[in-house]
Amino acid sequence: MSGKHQKAKTPPPPAGSRTDPGPLISQAGEVRTMLARGSTKSAVELAKEIHKRCGTPASEAVLVEAYGARIRSLLEHGLTAEGKALLELVRERYSSAKQTLADIDIVVSGPESGLEDLVRPLNDPALPKERRAAIESTIKRRMTDLSALAQCAALPPDHPLRVGAAALGGSLASVTSGPVTDDALLLPQVSHRGPLAPWKQLVRAIAYFYRQEDAACDRCLQGIDPGSVPARLVSPLRAMLAQRRDASLRAASTALVSQVGGNMETLRRALESLDAAFATKAQSKIIPAIQPAIAACRIARPELVERLRQHISIKAVKLNLPVRRVRAALGSLPVEDAYFWRLYARGMETPGEPLGPIACSLWEEFRRHAVAEGWFREDGLEAAALYLHMAELLQEIPGEALEEARESFIESFPGYSTHHEDQTPGVRRAAAKHKTPDFYYLFPDQLFARACALDPHREAFERWLDWARQETDSKAAERVAESWHRALPNDCRPLLYLMESAEKRGALSKATGFLEQAEKLDALNPEVRRAALRLLVAQAIRHLRQRKAHLAEQEVAALEALPQAQEADRPAFLAALRWTCSVIRGNVETASGHFTRVSRALGGTTGAILACESMAEACGLKRDGFAVYLPVGVSLVDQAESLAAAVGRACALGDDMDVVFSIPTAWESALFKELSQPPSRLEARQLRALGEAALRRDRRELAYAASAVGLAKGGDSEARFLLLRAQALPEWEFERRADCIAAAAELGRRRRDMRLVDEAVELKRGRGRRRMNFFDWMDAADEDAFSMSTEQVSAVLQREKQSPRFPAYESRPIADPFEEDAFFDDEEAEEASDVPSFEEIGRLLVEGGDSKTRGRNEKPSFEEIARLLLDKAEAEAKKKRRQKGRPPVPEQGDLF
Amino acid sequence: MSRHRQGVIAAHEDPREILGVAPNAGDEEIRAAYLRKVKENPPDRSAAAFERIRDAYEILRDPRRRALYMLLSGDPEAPLVSLLPAQTPERRFTGPGPWLAVLREK
Repeated sequence: MSGKHQKAKTPPPPAGSRTDPGPLISQAGEVRTMLARGSTKSAVELAKEIHKRCGTPASEAVLVEAYGARIRSLLEHGLTAEGKALLELVRERYSSAKQTLADIDIVVSGPESGLEDLVRPLNDPALPKERRAAIESTIKRRMTDLSALAQCAALPPDHPLRVGAAALGGSLASVTSGPVTDDALLLPQVSHRGPLAPWKQLVRAIAYFYRQEDAACDRCLQGIDPGSVPARLVSPLRAMLAQRRDASLRAASTALVSQVGGNMETLRRALESLDAAFATKAQSKIIPAIQPAIAACRIARPELVERLRQHISIKAVKLNLPVRRVRAALGSLPVEDAYFWRLYARGMETPGEPLGPIACSLWEEFRRHAVAEGWFREDGLEAAALYLHMAELLQEIPGEALEEARESFIESFPGYSTHHEDQTPGVRRAAAKHKTPDFYYLFPDQLFARACALDPHREAFERWLDWARQETDSKAAERVAESWHRALPNDCRPLLYLMESAEKRGALSKATGFLEQAEKLDALNPEVRRAALRLLVAQAIRHLRQRKAHLAEQEVAALEALPQAQEADRPAFLAALRWTCSVIRGNVETASGHFTRVSRALGGTTGAILACESMAEACGLKRDGFAVYLPVGVSLVDQAESLAAAVGRACALGDDMDVVFSIPTAWESALFKELSQPPSRLEARQLRALGEAALRRDRRELAYAASAVGLAKGGDSEARFLLLRAQALPEWEFERRADCIAAAAELGRRRRDMRLVDEAVELKRGRGRRRMNFFDWMDAADEDAFSMSTEQVSAVLQREKQSPRFPAYESRPIADPFEEDAFFDDEEAEEASDVPSFEEIGRLLVEGGDSKTRGRNEKPSFEEIARLLLDKAEAEAKKKRRQKGRPPVPEQGDLF
Repeated sequence: MSRHRQGVIAAHEDPREILGVAPNAGDEEIRAAYLRKVKENPPDRSAAAFERIRDAYEILRDPRRRALYMLLSGDPEAPLVSLLPAQTPERRFTGPGPWLAVLREK
């Protein structure tokens, strides 16, 4: 006890020596005035004087009241020990102090320990107003346990304080545990003037906070009495509303902010540091940054720790970081559940790394875990989507390379069993279900079949059919179409494919049967209508090739009866067919009449000549001698019309009817000349047809010129002409070619022209004009180049527009056309770039046959050295390509 | 592959969790959960929460889109910081414990 309070131990004077209590009343008033001013020490001194003089219960009450104020003042100033000592002294000396200072007793000995003593006086209806106010004020300022008040035995169960505290306790639990309705916030049991009113405001503030109604929350916070217990939550709530870090918050408040999620700055900074470290790819920077990130996550977002571990693990695997060090930094193994395997599989799909079999094996592992974890059913749509995705991955690999990769994978794949050893029982159980290896996931056909069986829909069958059409087995596509027809009997597409297939192999009656089935399903379908047209044309051409003009004429008559045959320039095509019939019959007069019809329909004789000659050529007739079947005076060069326009129009007609129209070689120079002098009167569609006809004859310069005119026209068809430009470019302009394809695909995507995008993708994959080889595959794997920004597209367009001339070959270093990185890793590249020593050259020469004809010490010629080095380099390159074509199989311990 | 609006739903978040449906929930369950959540979080009361719920439903309502999303969510190349919610931090319900701890702190 401090010395300054020792005087209080002096006992009061005997009752008999008391002075007259008259002045007491006025002096008590003076004490209370001092207390009101906050001069508690002076008030105590004066009260002591009064009590010394009077020695009555009234003077003792004044003194105890002054002591009470003094003790509260000490406590408010943090002088808890002094306050407690003084309280004990006063309680010991003055019997009335026990009850009067009960509220202070709560503060000193713990808020709830003296709760009953504090509130018991409230049962007294005659309790002075000031006393009641003091008790309520103490409840407001000190009481933190609503449940203690709700169950306080000193008050009757229906006392408003108990009822209100119970309601508030329930509401507080509700609003902090989940969304609540407005009714739950009414709280009619709690008076807005009572000591629990701030709690009511707090409950509402928390509810509005979770509802993201920040303004309402703030209003409630403003309504909370700053001296009340609920006011302690105002600062953390405001910090969360402002999403700022408040350094002045105390431990519990900081913990609350972290748990509720208002403050993730530390975690964000730690993750950003780790991302920056991963960007450097330097182990020395990555490993030290992992542990702080995990620690920060554990504090701010404990539920994210496992996800973070999984993501870090996969990033580390991709960078080949040492497993043990990463694992130590992570603190424990990541859980290898479905999420992990999905992440891993996606990581193996990285553009530029054609690791199809490995990615598929990882996707299979994901499928097993996902099914076991209840992500989806084994026969669900998700599984079907996954099978399609895996098939798509394998489609990226050309047939021969896939076969080799598959064999190699099956031979050496160890499985993922060791990954499950340290895993949770759930993960181990999921893995244990599949002990027999099944490599179905390496066979696109099986994957498509599974996908289509689980979810038979048009797109899936289309993709399967697209794949089958690329296969060497010509029956594969037909089998797919038959499956498609069985699964979706109301879809006319498989029937059209079967029709086309039968038509190609000459089974025209079978083809007609398929067409009839398709017409029964949907005779108005444009594809069916077009197929009907095409089939009749094919039949007519076939009969013309067999020189059965009378049969062909029947088919032409049937064609003429079709409404779709009267659209656009198609009557010209039918007239050209009639002209060919006349040629076969040797009827010059009729032929001349049909030619006139053709030229009228095509708007000139040039297009008519091209159409008739191409048609006759398609029917197996030779061009020589056609002149007699043309009207007298018809000239190849009609001054009135544009050659390019006429050729373009005729070629577009040929494309429309699926008959190849070829540009006569003799016309090429004139066409080229005309195309080199823009502006041209050609329509975009005709220009394209002209360019494509030129490409069919491998006349790239002509196709290039057509693309130049098309690009100069601008407009919506720019993307199409970029694609034409890509095809027209010489092989060694592979970079420009890739740029043009990517820009065309990007423009197509933006204009929602999915046909164009598909064509660009096919061209990128090398399926446009020739079968993809290994180098195309490596090139096509760079899918990153397929995405372009607006600026990049504009730059490509600008460059191509400014390059109207066909590129001339410039000799380049041999290494230029290939990105070495595409084939070798750094170590291999270093090896490849090593300059052989003279000893090595000597050894090579000794190994070479020429050394036999040369003396041992005789120096080799430069030609010999060059030839041997070239042979060696080629052999090495072949070996490395073979190795790269065989994707590495993950080894045990490679993964986490 | 198609990319969906992910402005509101973070990379690591599962739309099924946002709607509170089981991983193998069917179309009807998803729709019922969506309507329930929208009722709890109407747009005039909490626009952000409503948008999250709507986006989650948009992903889940079409079975094939749902399947694709399931396959393509969780990008291993994405920065780790993208694991955190991109928009307004989620306000997690913690129960009364941490709140009362602040009140009891002297």
